[in-house]
Amino acid sequence: MKESVASRTVFILLLFLTTSLLNGQSPPGKPEILKCRSPEKETFTCWWKPGDDGGLPTNYTLTYHKEGETLTHECPDYITSGPNSCYFNKKHTSIWTMYIITINATNQMGSSSSDPRYVDVTYIVEPDPPVNLTLELKQPEDKKPYLWMKWYPPTLVDVRSGWLTLQYEIRLKPKKATEWETHFAGQQTQFKILSLYPGQKYLVQVRCKPDHGFWSEWSPESSIQIPNDVTMKDTIVWIFVAVLSAVICLIMVVAVALKGHSMVTCILPPVPGPKIKGFDTHLLEKGKSEELLSALGCQDFPPTSDCEDLLVEFLEVDDSEDQQLMPAHPKEHPGQERKPTPLDPDSDSGRGSCDSPSLLSKKCEEARADPSAFNTPKSVEKPENPQTNVTYTWGSRSTSSEGKIPYFAAGGFKSSTWPLPQPPSQHSPRSSYHNIADVCKLNMGTAGASATLLDKTDTRALRSSKTTETGGEEKAAEQREVESFHSKTDQDTPWLLPQEKTPLISVRPLDYVEIHKVNKDGALSLLPKQKENSGQAEKPSTPEASKEYAKVSRVMDNNILVLVQEPRAQNLASFEEPAKEAAPSHQQNQAEEDLASFTSAPSGCGLQRAGLDYLDPTCFMHSFQ
Amino acid sequence: SDNTAGSLLLLLLLVSDLLLCQSVASLPICPSGAVNCQVSLRDLFDRAVILSHYIHNLSSEMFNEFDKRYAQGRGFITKAINSCHTSSLSTPEDKEQAQQIHHEDLLNLILRVLRSWNDPLYHLVTEVRGMQEAPDAILSRAIEIEEQNRRLLEGMEKIVGQVHPGIRENEVYSVWSGLPSLQMADEDTRLFAFYNLLHCLRRDSHKIDNYLKLLKCRIVYDSNC
Repeated sequence: MKESVASRTVFILLLFLTTSLLNGQSPPGKPEILKCRSPEKETFTCWWKPGDDGGLPTNYTLTYHKEGETLTHECPDYITSGPNSCYFNKKHTSIWTMYIITINATNQMGSSSSDPRYVDVTYIVEPDPPVNLTLELKQPEDKKPYLWMKWYPPTLVDVRSGWLTLQYEIRLKPKKATEWETHFAGQQTQFKILSLYPGQKYLVQVRCKPDHGFWSEWSPESSIQIPNDVTMKDTIVWIFVAVLSAVICLIMVVAVALKGHSMVTCILPPVPGPKIKGFDTHLLEKGKSEELLSALGCQDFPPTSDCEDLLVEFLEVDDSEDQQLMPAHPKEHPGQERKPTPLDPDSDSGRGSCDSPSLLSKKCEEARADPSAFNTPKSVEKPENPQTNVTYTWGSRSTSSEGKIPYFAAGGFKSSTWPLPQPPSQHSPRSSYHNIADVCKLNMGTAGASATLLDKTDTRALRSSKTTETGGEEKAAEQREVESFHSKTDQDTPWLLPQEKTPLISVRPLDYVEIHKVNKDGALSLLPKQKENSGQAEKPSTPEASKEYAKVSRVMDNNILVLVQEPRAQNLASFEEPAKEAAPSHQQNQAEEDLASFTSAPSGCGLQRAGLDYLDPTCFMHSFQ
Repeated sequence: SDNTAGSLLLLLLLVSDLLLCQSVASLPICPSGAVNCQVSLRDLFDRAVILSHYIHNLSSEMFNEFDKRYAQGRGFITKAINSCHTSSLSTPEDKEQAQQIHHEDLLNLILRVLRSWNDPLYHLVTEVRGMQEAPDAILSRAIEIEEQNRRLLEGMEKIVGQVHPGIRENEVYSVWSGLPSLQMADEDTRLFAFYNLLHCLRRDSHKIDNYLKLLKCRIVYDSNC
């Protein structure tokens, strides 16, 4: 009996097994919770995935219990969120609370449950995308157009109370592009895009994220068409410009083609050949230089045959520091005058010693006569007529001197026609002063021949020139000058002062003095530019004038003035020697004698007036050195 | 006596320097009742919200780091149920409840929660340092959270002083007694203690952040953020 029961049970079991196998039914498989999400942190939904249903209709239920509670609840709403979902409304949602959720699948054969899911609503917030995205192309005047977009937070999210704080992000691209351009917009609900390609259609999307949650999905695309930059008006303008320029080009081409050659000559004129007025190139070819040179325009010059004309020259008179004597070349020797410094250009310059001695002698005389009447003229007292002092004509040597030298007031070289060799150092004039002073000193035996005197010679000279203008006071002025000249004989150092004192002396403008003519007795009469009388004034007072003038006995080497020695020359000997030394180039003994005689007497600096002679100032310079 | 006077002066200078350094970030307090105080309150709330937001971000990152590194497969989450020491403080559990609470009570609640975390945060830093292979990500965040929590507390006290000055409740807060667990020899227990602490920290920092944002919108912007 027992054996039959056991076997029967086995048989029935096998029968069931066979039946179920033949049917294919089984209890449901284990469901699985997919995700739970809250759109606004006030409700949430869970979705699950059903397992195998086992061939039978399976019923799914969701059960949960909350943290701190023991009661198990079932899902309040299976429908709202769709199939296989459970929607928890506000009443059933607690924040900062853990939910332990389980899905149960039940069918006829059996049931199964999912693994419990621990859900805290705090951390599952994922809002809906923003809504009402509007695009607008704003075109402010004088500015580039920009795209302005506006949107609204998703409807369910409560931003106003601060329950949720949203941050937004937009992205856009031209319709045909492949990559999106993304921009973070923060908490604002509008945005501006400035860099747009004109003529394109743009697509824009926006999404949002809660302060501690997940990003939403992108909103649906909004599109906008950006208009083209170039307007109809611009196009017309450009066409017009193009046509106009084409027309102009055409005209120019035609003009060039028709009058090409004349235009070329107009634009690029031919280079003219060299031409000198009165210069006959044929004469050159023939080799007649004389005719050539004569044809170079010496018409205005006095004829060379006139001896007097030799002395007509222009002198620049200036008592400024940088005075340089500018002897005017006698125009009758145009070719010769161009030998500036045969001997020693540097040492020569403007010493004017040739000139000065006579003048100096004059002054020395008068200074000796009235030593008491010395007064120190101010250096600033510069009469306007330096040329009165310049009574001597120099040889072709240009001399440069400090402004102190009265006899020659060579202004700057700028106004001179010939460039004067500049003294290499300033001391040469100094030395000239010095020498002149020595001359005076030696001659007069007094201390009158001081540099300071010389220094003031200009002043004196000027003053004397002033006086010469007046005529009557000439002597007095001279006397005064001589006095001053003498007064500081002892002060040799002041000799050098002229140099230093030059700053005190105002620079006078250059003045050209024309030597009018030479008297029969050898006096040079100057024609000062401003005051023509001064030269003449000196003339009448021949006795005194003769003191100032040096007669030129003869010319040597075409550039040396040999002055006539005055009968009162006494200390010729003293000068004679240095003069001899200083004048190596002078090969005429007579010239040296004359020199010596000339330099001998500042007091009686008499000059021979044996006719016209030229003296090389350099010889005097050397002598003084 | 010269020496003592000098050292006192030095100490005074030092203290004042420290205070100045700390107060560089602090905002000016305006006397209660003054009209222009609204601006200052807004600044206080803005600052507080920034701090609370920052603290929660740090806590969240710290928790995730710890969870990824130490808590995988241990089922800690099943055990971290109703285990926060601040659950005794009756805090609102949803928006409606939070909006029904008067803002003074809500402020006090925030203060209580903040104060409750002073001690645990301090020990958290100490104990994380002692962990084997102390991860720098967790340690640095723990240190930062502790400091920012202190500053937030100061800011909250200022806000309370402005919103309803004079009412000063006793310092009520929840006592934390999880230190022994943090120092357990058993690794599993200790790690769970850490996990639980970080889990609770994440939650409470989120609560504070949320309450403050609600209060800010309610008080400063008149519920129109």
